[in-house]
This record gives sequence, C-alpha cells and structure tokens, in this order.
Amino acid sequence: MQVFNQALQSDTECFKPMTMPAQIDNTQLAQLLSNIATKRDKQAFTTLFGFFAPKIVNISRRKFSNPDQANEVLQETMSNVWRKAHFFDVNKGQASTWVYTIMRNVTFDMLRKVQTNKEDNLSDDIWPMVDESQAKTEVYDDHLAKNHILASLDTLPENQKMVVKGFYFQDMSQEQLAEHLGLPLGTVKSRLRLAIEKLKVQLGEHHD
Amino acid sequence: MIKHHPTQDLLQGFVTGELPASLSAAIAMHNDMCPSCAKKTAQMMDAQASQSFEELDMHPDSVDEQSAMAVTSSFDFDDMIGAIVADEAVASIPIRQPKTVTMGDKDYVLPQAIEIVELGSLSHLGKLTRARLQLGEGKIHTSLLHIQPGGEVPEHTHKGYELTLLLDGEFDDDEGHYVAGDFIMLDGTRTHQPRSEHGCLCFTVVNEPLKFTQGLNRLLNPIGPFIY
Ligand SMILES: [Zn+2]
Repeated sequence: MQVFNQALQSDTECFKPMTMPAQIDNTQLAQLLSNIATKRDKQAFTTLFGFFAPKIVNISRRKFSNPDQANEVLQETMSNVWRKAHFFDVNKGQASTWVYTIMRNVTFDMLRKVQTNKEDNLSDDIWPMVDESQAKTEVYDDHLAKNHILASLDTLPENQKMVVKGFYFQDMSQEQLAEHLGLPLGTVKSRLRLAIEKLKVQLGEHHD
Repeated sequence: MIKHHPTQDLLQGFVTGELPASLSAAIAMHNDMCPSCAKKTAQMMDAQASQSFEELDMHPDSVDEQSAMAVTSSFDFDDMIGAIVADEAVASIPIRQPKTVTMGDKDYVLPQAIEIVELGSLSHLGKLTRARLQLGEGKIHTSLLHIQPGGEVPEHTHKGYELTLLLDGEFDDDEGHYVAGDFIMLDGTRTHQPRSEHGCLCFTVVNEPLKFTQGLNRLLNPIGPFIY
C-alpha cells in the first residue's frame, strides 16, 4: 500500500504526457486504459487526456454554444474514463469507440437536461457501458446481496479492492492479476484472502 | 422473424446521440432483439468514433485544435486533470432495478432502456390499455400500449411520424403480420389499423396528434390523444 501511494505521489509531481501520434492508435489507447484500470496510472491518464481533450472540446463546441458547457462535457467525459476504465474490454471493441461512447452519453444527458429539464441520465440505460455478461460475472445474483457487497467493497483498502474487483468483476485469474498489477502472485493471493475475510465479516453483520 | 428495422438514418442518429430519448430507447430495444441491427450499429459506432476523433487531422483548416484550446484557456487543463485523478474511487457496476408493469392482466418486465422512466397511470378503452412514459419531450408522446386478445386500434393516420415497436406478442394490419422486435415507422401518408388476435404490448412514439379516418371519426378523434 505504501509503495503504491508513493508511486501516485511521485506521479503528481510530473504530469508529463508521453507523446501520442495524432492518428488514432487503438492498441496504444487500449494499453493506456488498461494501465489506468489496473494501476490507477496518472501518467497514462494525462497522456489520454492530452490526446482526447482538444478533440472533445472541438466536437462539443459545435453542440453547445456556451464554452462552459463544452468544458463540462470534457470534464465529465474524462472523469468517466478515469473512473470506468476497468469496464473497458479490449476484446469487445476499440478504445476510441469506448471514449466516443462516453462522450456521446455525457452529451446526450446534458442536452436532455437543457431541453427537457430531466436529470435522469437515461444514457446509462439506452447505451449501457456494462453489458449483461459483465454484470453476470458478479458473485451473487441477489440484488440486495450485490448492494451489500458493493457497499462493503468501498470500505476495503484500495489495494485489496483492486484485487477483488479484478478477480470477481473482470474475471481475471490470480495469475493475470499479478501480471497486470506487477505484483508477486503470493501478494495477490494474500490480498484476496484478506479482502474476502473482511467482506465475510461485514456481510455477516449486514445479515444479522 | 423480425422484418421491420430502423433505417440507416435512424441508426446513424442513434449512434451520434442526436435522436430524442424516445426514439433512442426504441432503437436500443430493437437492437436487443435484432442481432443484425446490433452488429450494424457497432460498426457504425467504430466508423463514427474514428471519423469524429480524426477529423481535426483531416481538416486542419475548418476548426483547428489550437483555437478550440484557446477558447478553453481561461482555465488550466492541468487543474482539470488534477481534480479528476484526485478521485480515487472507481465506478462500481451499476445495480439495475428491473421494473414490471401489469397491463391487460399480464405482467411484463420492461427492457432496460425504459426501466427507470416514470410511467403515468393506466388508461383503459375497451381492449386497449395505455400508459404514458414521462419523458418530458413536449409534442413527442411516448407510450406503452397493450392490446388484449381480439382488440384493435381504430384506423388512423397522422401528420408526423408514428413509431410502433412490438415488444411482446403479435399483431396484424392490412400489410402483414408483425412479431416482437418489429420496428414499424409510419409517416403521415399511410393509415393502418393494427389488430391483435392473441394480444400484444407495444412501445409507441408519435410527434403529432393522430387523425382518425373512419366514418366515426368525429367520435373517435377525441380518443386519438387518449391512445397515443
Ligand atoms: Zn433490426
């Protein structure tokens, strides 16, 4: 955990993006998304941001006359990229399409808010970012149980949470996780075990 | 088998997010039942994403990157990045809350695209039951319409468009037989009179009031807004 924190802190010192080609390179974009998903890699995010921000602002300026709203689309889109990178599945589509989808959804919800005064964020249901098969990989089917688990997950330390999410929600093996997180297999196993023990206690309390 | 699909133009509007929520939801529900349109949409998404994000490189003169960035230079992008990455929380998988409606004594689980949309109260007219979806889109009226076995919608025409997406069951009109997933978009030049032998549930969208065309139209006209 400490090593992890230090890594983050040193990153904040230098948000120097790597150079990205002007043309879309979906393999490279997918790698950046994967680094964000598995390592919360701020430098990868900065690189992605540098690549997409001018394009998103440009596209949004044609939809919203108010520059603040175009900036809002940018902020909202890129924070979704940061928070949802683990939903991106390289086997199911291109990275640029995934980012476009997020931008389109954010724009749709904002325009709907302007035009109809509804803040229902319908885009999540019209164009779900998580498909059924991903949702089904969750441990329990019962909605209440799911709620409890998700709530409990948030109480775990970040390093355990990442292991649990990778293992249960992204269907990665412990070996794959170790590789993705750059950790020894034994560390992944012990974190997973620790996390499960904690979750069991918490969930047990919920059911009492 | 599904025989009626959204046009290329509608799919394109769906991809770019430029259709109203009602039509977007209809296409999402159709695609869930129609693998060929789902596949086509996915391909169009890829093409649209590439085109949108590469446009700057292809047309450097039309709207250039620099000026777009200049507009936003009133605030610092580094600040925005910093604010975003300061949030350590990752998004959890959304919890869906499937909604069931009972219409004509049958229970239906609504498709995801419309499961959180508020439903107005049920109105009944003979074998028809209608519930308005509260999408707040002004003149565009979106409804769930249930036809009990043996029921029919009076013959009518409309000034704008009328979309019927068959969600469950089957119905017929003078032009043929329709099954779940059929996406039937009519413009103002056509009339039709759906009747359902075994009952059905439809998702309907109209953007102008209906006109009823039969001899009884004086009587029927007031129920146009009732049904759609
Ligand atoms: Zn189709």
